[in-house]
Amino acid sequence: MRLEKCWFCSSTIYPGHGIQFVRNDAKIFRFCRSKCHKNFKMKRNPRKVKWTKAYRRLHGKDMTQDSTFEFERKRNRPQRYDRINTEKVLQAIPKISKVKATREKDHITKRLSVGRVNRRTEDRRELEQSISLVKAPSVLKEDATLTLPKQKVTVSYAQTENTPMEE
Amino acid sequence: MVQFNFKGITVVPSGKEMVDIILSRTQRQTPTVVHKGYAINRLRQFYMRKVRFTQQNFHDKLSAIVDEFPRLEGIHPFYSDLLHVLYNKDHYKLALGQVNTARNLISKVAKDYVRLLKYGDSLYRCKCLKVAALGRMCTVIKRIGPSLAYLEQVRQHMARLPSIDPNMRTILICGYPNVGKSSFMNKITRADVDVQPYAFTTKSLFVGHTDYKYLRYQVIDTPGILDRPFEDRNIIEMCSITALAHLRSAVLFFLDVSGSCGYTVAQQAALFHSIKSLFLNKPLMVVCNKIDLQQLNALSEDDKRLVDEMKAEALKTLQIGGDPNAEQQVLVTMSTLTEEGVINVKNTACERILDQRVEIKMKSKKINDCLNRFHVAMPKPRDGKERPVCIPQQVLEQRAKDQEVEKEKEKRKLEKDLENENGGAGVYSASLKKHYLLANDEWKEDIIPEIIDGHNVADFMDPDILERLEELEREEGLRLAGEEGDDFEIDGDNMTPEEREALNEIRKRKKALIQEHRIKKSTAESRPIVPRKFDKDRQFTTERMGRQLSGLGLDPSKAIERVRSRSVSRGRKRERSVAADGAGDDGMEIDNDGKGSNKRLRLRSVSRSRSRSRAPVEEVIPGEGFKDKEQKVKAIKLGKKSVKKRNKDARKGEADRVILNMMPKHLFSGKRGIGKTSRR
Repeated sequence: MRLEKCWFCSSTIYPGHGIQFVRNDAKIFRFCRSKCHKNFKMKRNPRKVKWTKAYRRLHGKDMTQDSTFEFERKRNRPQRYDRINTEKVLQAIPKISKVKATREKDHITKRLSVGRVNRRTEDRRELEQSISLVKAPSVLKEDATLTLPKQKVTVSYAQTENTPMEE
Repeated sequence: MVQFNFKGITVVPSGKEMVDIILSRTQRQTPTVVHKGYAINRLRQFYMRKVRFTQQNFHDKLSAIVDEFPRLEGIHPFYSDLLHVLYNKDHYKLALGQVNTARNLISKVAKDYVRLLKYGDSLYRCKCLKVAALGRMCTVIKRIGPSLAYLEQVRQHMARLPSIDPNMRTILICGYPNVGKSSFMNKITRADVDVQPYAFTTKSLFVGHTDYKYLRYQVIDTPGILDRPFEDRNIIEMCSITALAHLRSAVLFFLDVSGSCGYTVAQQAALFHSIKSLFLNKPLMVVCNKIDLQQLNALSEDDKRLVDEMKAEALKTLQIGGDPNAEQQVLVTMSTLTEEGVINVKNTACERILDQRVEIKMKSKKINDCLNRFHVAMPKPRDGKERPVCIPQQVLEQRAKDQEVEKEKEKRKLEKDLENENGGAGVYSASLKKHYLLANDEWKEDIIPEIIDGHNVADFMDPDILERLEELEREEGLRLAGEEGDDFEIDGDNMTPEEREALNEIRKRKKALIQEHRIKKSTAESRPIVPRKFDKDRQFTTERMGRQLSGLGLDPSKAIERVRSRSVSRGRKRERSVAADGAGDDGMEIDNDGKGSNKRLRLRSVSRSRSRSRAPVEEVIPGEGFKDKEQKVKAIKLGKKSVKKRNKDARKGEADRVILNMMPKHLFSGKRGIGKTSRR
């Protein structure tokens, strides 16, 4: 039993899922679900379809080169069973996957951090420029911080003020 | 092979059928459409084609008949005589001759009419010529109709003739009717000939096959022959006579010694003598049948004498190299009922045939050529020494070893035996891992995991995976340590929560401004552009100003006071001067005045609680643009009138064209009382 990769989106195909297509030149295409299969039949290039791993790798969204990829490699030669080795491998696999996962996450975070910095500077600039919309310049002169002014409660429309004039 | 198998002749159609077939074929396979407007050559060709086509087809069919029926001169005399006996040679030849003539006649007709068609000058004339040609051809065929019918009968009968190979080893059985010929035939071959107590049960020749010394023999059963002059014989008897005459075979003359066939031995002997001329050069055997009823020794003197005479005749046909038991070979007894002597008869007959054939072959010229090529070489012994078989010692040892291995194999326990011991195929499942070659035999029964966490375990297999993993983890640790420094730098410039609040507020304000502007923009055409001081909706109040100012952090009380005081004082001043002057100064002031005085008037006239209520509708407010009260009242009336109809239709405005129910049931269902319902 082997877990294969979908040719279109590169996700793993578990047993009992998906379709395999064998072309006349004996090349095998495996698909994880009909979405990928239909896209393939439409002759779409996975490198241009945003949600596939191929696109993400090509456009630098996901990690491409790393030493953790070399641990997982398909070997075509059968190997004699060795209990000791197998136990070692079984212990190692979760650790390797953890390292790989953290690295991928960091790659994405690094990529997105540039945007964070930009947004911060933007915010600051906007605040500095448009503070006059919420704070009168005279108040700003007194209190130079870029915060909302302390609200001065208005004197409510008092009856007593006008009545003497009327009368 | 035409020689003895006539099953391959094609069916001969009757006259009418043939005409039908060929005419319909002409109709189908030649072009059918022609118009009188075509070029004359084309018309001529069209009809000539039809005539020629028909002639060709007749020619083919008739030739087939003539060729396939056998020519009586060209086949074995046995068959030609048989056919003559059955169908009359003359009649047969005549029929075939007629067919041949018909063929020639048709060709002539076709030729003539084609020649005529070359000069046909109109469609009609060509067509008539063609019709005439085809008509004449068909008449020819109709005239030979009886011959065709006769030939068809002949063909059917010929197909059912027994396939006798005249050159094969043959045994012929003949004699009086009811003597037991067919019973004998049934006994030695697989032929199922009818055996009945009445005479002439067998009406034609029957063929069976039997084996002797790895060779196949034909056995031919004939109908019974009666003793009468040659001319009086009927067709059935003639069949057997023909067979006797032409087939080079052994002849078994059956004799019924008991007389239960209805004829005495004397009669049978008389028959024998009358046809003994036919037995020349053929090994003859006299077979005495039905000895279970009457023994040969128990015969009367006369009968015995007659039998001896027959035997003597038969002896003549025997080979000259006289055998001691020659008598045995010539006169045999048997009984088909008790089956004694049947096999003996068959064997003797076959032997005699064989001997005769071998002798003939030896006598022929061809054998010498063959004999010259045979030579059996026998080595002459050199001396008297004995030379036995010699086997080397190693071979003997190897053989002994092989035998041992064989024995071991028998003793070794197979998987199959193991399975059978433990309950059979359904119960026991063989352990396929038994013979695994592993470093440690304890590992044989391990269950190996193949998949873990969405990865294939086999892809990770590596003897030094743990070292590499350690390296990896070390690297990872270093990397993480490095990254922590970077994080701190980025977090430096962060906003305080108050600043955040301010920013949100700014954004809200901006959005509100934009929305307002958009609304204003979209309604710009329908809104009157009025300067702010004619504030119809009364939105520019001091409260609003106060709110806004305090929102910006300023103290609004002073500003409000100032506004109020100014308005009040302005109004006062103006009132006095208006009362004095009467006429206004500049428009601006009057306007101001008007507004202010109005306000004041309002304030004065109405009590506090109602100070906020609006003016009556007819009152002209300067910002609206009316000349005077009447105009405003008229305008209001017009406005209401235009809206009334729409309101009655429950429409929201001019542009409201909504139909709530597109297909009200009362309009779209039901029959009409009068008229059609083709439109709804």
